[in-house]
Amino acid sequence: MMPNDNSRRNYAVLAVSIAVAAVFIYAGIGKIREPLQFADSTAAFAILPAVFINLFVMGLPPFEFACGGLLLVPPTRRVGALAVAVVSLMFFTALASALLRGLTLDCGCFGVGAPSRSRMWIELAVDIALFSGALFVYLRSITRLPAQAP
Amino acid sequence: MPNPDLNSRNWQTSAVSIVTPDPAARPQARSLAWQIVRDLGRVAILAIVSLAAGLVINRSSVHPLPIVYQSPEQRFDAELTTLVAAPPFKIAPAATVGLDRFRSAVESKSALILDARPSLFFEQGHVPGALNLARDDFAHDYRDLAGVLQAATDKPIIVYCSGGECHDSRLVANALLSLGFGNVSVFTGGWDAWSAAGLPASKGSVR
Repeated sequence: MMPNDNSRRNYAVLAVSIAVAAVFIYAGIGKIREPLQFADSTAAFAILPAVFINLFVMGLPPFEFACGGLLLVPPTRRVGALAVAVVSLMFFTALASALLRGLTLDCGCFGVGAPSRSRMWIELAVDIALFSGALFVYLRSITRLPAQAP
Repeated sequence: MPNPDLNSRNWQTSAVSIVTPDPAARPQARSLAWQIVRDLGRVAILAIVSLAAGLVINRSSVHPLPIVYQSPEQRFDAELTTLVAAPPFKIAPAATVGLDRFRSAVESKSALILDARPSLFFEQGHVPGALNLARDDFAHDYRDLAGVLQAATDKPIIVYCSGGECHDSRLVANALLSLGFGNVSVFTGGWDAWSAAGLPASKGSVR
């Protein structure tokens, strides 16, 4: 009974890792193709000061590619999952704050689009799903590590 | 009759084991917390490496971003200065028209209709007969359309963008006013109002 449960969980970790990695790599491609529009989308959130917007826009796509790549390789999956969880939480906070402030914008999450509040809600749900998936993979990976002294 | 098990030593030891935390659990929890901290450190290193990679990619791209962000208005002003040496930016804003007037102008072809959205959106669908003068690439598009615009100086010009909160149409209309075009107005409903009304649309690029 136990080995079956374990292998089922391993398959679940693999499936979730592949799905989250695919979403992140796709999102990275969308952003790297239209950096100017992504910068405008980022500025529309009115969270980051102007000096940090373009640095964020330049750094995020490689970070998303790296997260996707790390998730696909078992030895680095744990760090990739934590990175996805952290960044999804950040996206969620930014989108939720924009929705609460009554802003209608294109988040630029998956490339260029027209500003829409309904799309913002969908993207908020996607962020929750990504965060949950990444947290599942991370917790599964970390609880299987041998105990180490600090 | 009292239960003999209540006085037994077995019951006492099992009760103690429930209340007292497992002595091995605390170092294990500390080890897990330490592992999470170390993983967060690795994520921070990953972010720094990604930023460095992003800077290199940006530097080697055809249209690199400046290090400090410029708003669409700042970029637009910079574009305009490539067309006129000292544009009179402090001009009265362009007038606005509603859907009915815009629709009759489109159907009677009595006005020159300009779409201020990026070419990507224009190609996906636009008002029939409209020309693309995108705010994003204004100087380039303006040079392309200069002949058509100069030939239609007697016609009114109506500019639209996505609608709602978009301001590309106002920027383009005000730029045209500052470039010397006299009769320029903005259709505030934009593409959203046009398509929501179920009016005909054209696709593809038209210059």
